Amino acid sequence: MNQAAQAGAIKPSAKIKSRSKFSIGKTLVFILFGVLLVTQLYPLLWLLIYSTKTNEEILSGSFFSLPKSPQWANFQTAVESGNYFKYLGNSVFVTLVTMVCVLLLASLVSFAISRFRWKYGQVILLLFLIGMMIPMQATLLPLMLIFKNLDLLNKHASIILPYIAFQTPVAVFILSSFMKSIPNEIEESAIVDGAGVFRIFWNIILPVSVPPMMTVMILTFINIWNEYILAATFISSERLKTLPFGVNSFVSQYSVNYGAIGAFLVLGALPVVIIYFLLADKITKGMVAGAVKG
Amino acid sequence: MNVLRVSKWTIALFVLPCLLLYVCFVFVPILVSLYSGLLDWNGIGESKFIGLDNFKQMLFHDAVFWPAVKRTLMFAVVSMCIQIPLALFLAILLNRFVKKPNFLVSSYFLPAILSVVVIGQLWKTIYNPASMGGMLNQVLESIGLQSWTHSWLTDPSVAMYSLYFVAVWQFLGYHTLIQFTGIQNIPSDIYEAAKIDGAEGLKADWHITLPMNIPIIKISIVLAFIGSLQSFDLIMVMTGGGPAHATDVISTLMYNMSFLSMKYGYGSSIAAFLVVVCLVATFFINLIFNRLERKYT
Amino acid sequence: MKKNMKGILKLVMAGTLALSLAACGNNGGGTTGTNNGTDKANEGSTGGKKENITITFQNIYPDPTDPKNIIMKKIVKAYEDENPNVKIELDSLNTDQQKVKLKTQAASREVPDITVVNPAAQMKPFVDAKLFAPLNDMLDQNGLKDTFQEGILDFYSFDNNIYALPDGNNIGLVYYNKELFEQAGVKVPTTFEEMVDVVKALKAKGIQPMAIGEKDSWTGSFLFMNVLLRTNGPGFLQEVLDGKKTFEDPAFKEAADAFQNLIQAGAFQEGATSFDYNAGENLFKTGKAAMYYMGSWATGGIETSTINGKAGVFKFPTVNGKGDPNEFMLAPGSAFAISADSKHLPETKDFLNYFMINFPKETFSAKGAVGLAQKVEGDFKAAGYSDMAMEVLDMFKDVKGGDIAFDNTMNPATAQAHLTSIQNLFVKKNDAANVAKEHQTAYESNK
Repeated sequence: MNQAAQAGAIKPSAKIKSRSKFSIGKTLVFILFGVLLVTQLYPLLWLLIYSTKTNEEILSGSFFSLPKSPQWANFQTAVESGNYFKYLGNSVFVTLVTMVCVLLLASLVSFAISRFRWKYGQVILLLFLIGMMIPMQATLLPLMLIFKNLDLLNKHASIILPYIAFQTPVAVFILSSFMKSIPNEIEESAIVDGAGVFRIFWNIILPVSVPPMMTVMILTFINIWNEYILAATFISSERLKTLPFGVNSFVSQYSVNYGAIGAFLVLGALPVVIIYFLLADKITKGMVAGAVKG
Repeated sequence: MNVLRVSKWTIALFVLPCLLLYVCFVFVPILVSLYSGLLDWNGIGESKFIGLDNFKQMLFHDAVFWPAVKRTLMFAVVSMCIQIPLALFLAILLNRFVKKPNFLVSSYFLPAILSVVVIGQLWKTIYNPASMGGMLNQVLESIGLQSWTHSWLTDPSVAMYSLYFVAVWQFLGYHTLIQFTGIQNIPSDIYEAAKIDGAEGLKADWHITLPMNIPIIKISIVLAFIGSLQSFDLIMVMTGGGPAHATDVISTLMYNMSFLSMKYGYGSSIAAFLVVVCLVATFFINLIFNRLERKYT
Repeated sequence: MKKNMKGILKLVMAGTLALSLAACGNNGGGTTGTNNGTDKANEGSTGGKKENITITFQNIYPDPTDPKNIIMKKIVKAYEDENPNVKIELDSLNTDQQKVKLKTQAASREVPDITVVNPAAQMKPFVDAKLFAPLNDMLDQNGLKDTFQEGILDFYSFDNNIYALPDGNNIGLVYYNKELFEQAGVKVPTTFEEMVDVVKALKAKGIQPMAIGEKDSWTGSFLFMNVLLRTNGPGFLQEVLDGKKTFEDPAFKEAADAFQNLIQAGAFQEGATSFDYNAGENLFKTGKAAMYYMGSWATGGIETSTINGKAGVFKFPTVNGKGDPNEFMLAPGSAFAISADSKHLPETKDFLNYFMINFPKETFSAKGAVGLAQKVEGDFKAAGYSDMAMEVLDMFKDVKGGDIAFDNTMNPATAQAHLTSIQNLFVKKNDAANVAKEHQTAYESNK
């Protein structure tokens, strides 16, 4: 039925790009690509310009304008007053730990749900599905109580644990539906070869599952990197705070330092964007490679 | 039927770590929330058990609740019916016409990783009234479409659509990426075989790409649904649910009740409602896609 | 039942943790070593060397470029130098987030040693739940109480106990741009009706008459309440609470009508409900709007903006000949409270005492002393305060009472309904009778 099967069984050769007969159609398509490129990339440029403006220039709200004189001091403020490096380090740590744990734990469960012969697989899946759409704000009070009793407040664990827990439902949903689509023959032959459960999981199923795992990884990243409500509630110490604290530190009761926010956002997004573009090739290649190995 | 027969201990080893974590930090808090929905409680002081009164009030007497539900569902429908087909279409085009699509795919994806703070500020400068430098209205005026100008975020009749549009724009590339990954994993042999049968170009896409990609489309649909139910940040930044509840959705309403109106019990009953919506929706999405998958694969 | 659940929860949690930690190999716990040794202070030691303790100071001065943050850090540093055994840990958050955090913390009695609350009705739930420690002894200790202005502490007192110490005390004023007034040939209005005319005159000249940041709906409410203060005189909401009046009182409807006259005259910028506080204020500060109604805390920001020197200020005028301009909307500021459960209650009190004693001095020299809740000694003029600041300071001397904001008097749910109802007026016209009814219904169903 499924892609993984075919991907596993058949060696993908170079994709056939259609030799389009309608060059007008082709032109239109590329115009569409171009327009989208502009609309989707412009925010980054806009943010860069924004970060070099003064408060008045930003609030005056004109869309295309350039700053009179670029306020590079915004960046200095962001780095020094916004504790950029400390927060960046914490964000990287929290996000990495969360991503690794989500991938590992969710693929273990998904493997069990989709490949083991046992009664309760579907029940477990349903249990996870219930949590898929719960907004984190709804659980603030109960979580506070739990962390208080576990003495976990104001530690990185108090955000990492719920981050992992909140990301697993979607991850299990995606991974288990993918793993279900892998044909049984693969395991059967592995069993004949004398491979144990762990080897099947690690050497056969995981490598095939790289594409959905990429999806899960990206998803987890998007949800965690900018998360503020949970972090602000459970973290109090300066040395544990993450990047969103830096952004919000420039918002006071009766004043907002927009330029510094812009600069901080640029600095927060930049490493991500750079890493993403550097890895973009590898991510897609990894997906194809994963398919071949199976 | 699954083939792997394993011992109970192996199952426990695979399932328990994740399950316990999930139960403790998501499931138990939800249950506590459900219970709080039965309380008359401001979240701080004494609480009083009032049974289903909150739910009765919410379902039958709250003038703000149902419109918020409707907007939330509309949010989901818009992203499912516009965003995902568009993303799929783009992914097919990218796969067909571009030799090295990675740069384009990555660029389209970019808005999804930018903080909502940026997105909100950007779109405000686009949506503002012309007198306040709003780009969209100025453009409309300059091409003589004065009558089309609106106060996009504060006119209750259009404000919600303005928000839908931003959400569609922000996550278009995200779904394109997901669909693109799926399409790339469709083996080319199938297309070659189809070509012999005379199916090429769009026809091949219709008969091969679409059905082969159904599992991935399902993922996108579910993600879009989740995203729209949780569309909290964007709305808080852009309109705060206003003017006068005109752009409130379930999640903003819940936040408003729990933390601003300090009716924590009532806010919890809204959360409980959300759990039910989610269960029903997941059920239907699964049902539809199971049929589709059986039919086409 | 609750206790049982806790027990089970703890057990399950411990199991999860062990497992998940093993599974991840590397978890958050690693980075947090330093916190524990300090907290067991109070039990064993009496004499000799003082134990090291940490006091958590939750505050809403997060911006390191903001004078208040600088002042706070300075005083904290000085205290830490004098008391090397005490470490003050600052948890600086923006206002919205601090409110959510405190409410969440309060639900499980985890209030930080020092936190920030709003006056009167807004802090009452916390006081009712006995979360705060009374500060009377600490206020009497070294005359700290006498540094506060007459009557201001009443807003933070319940049953003769004072539970919080405010950082500010402001009044509602109308700021105006003299240059724009000249351009339109209008004078400072002395009645509300004149003010509506001024709006029309400005509008006719293509000048934006007034600015407001109505996305933060309290801004519109603050202005509306000032109209109500004129049509009814002080104490309307209290009379409603006492059952002597309802929202369907003529004075309330009159206020709603007058307020709508102002809106319908085109006073406020287009799309006002999507402008947050800062975006709204910025219209005035960049000379794009001629008038701006706000609390006197805005003075500092206006002075450092591009229209410095062109800005003036006037008292909110009479409405339909009613009211006394010397009665103001009073805005007692956010205030510092101490957790009743604090592990280091005496030390925390000692620190807050030190902080409040030094607060006026430092604020004065940072030129932020307009709208302080404490008395300030010093010559403002000589210290370089601007003419407008002097004008505002003079108006403080004229204050003959007034009202506090809606959400400081009514319970939160009614306040939210009020804010919505008023915000709605910026979008579409509503019959005054309807507005009154919306209020009355909300009040009755949330009593």
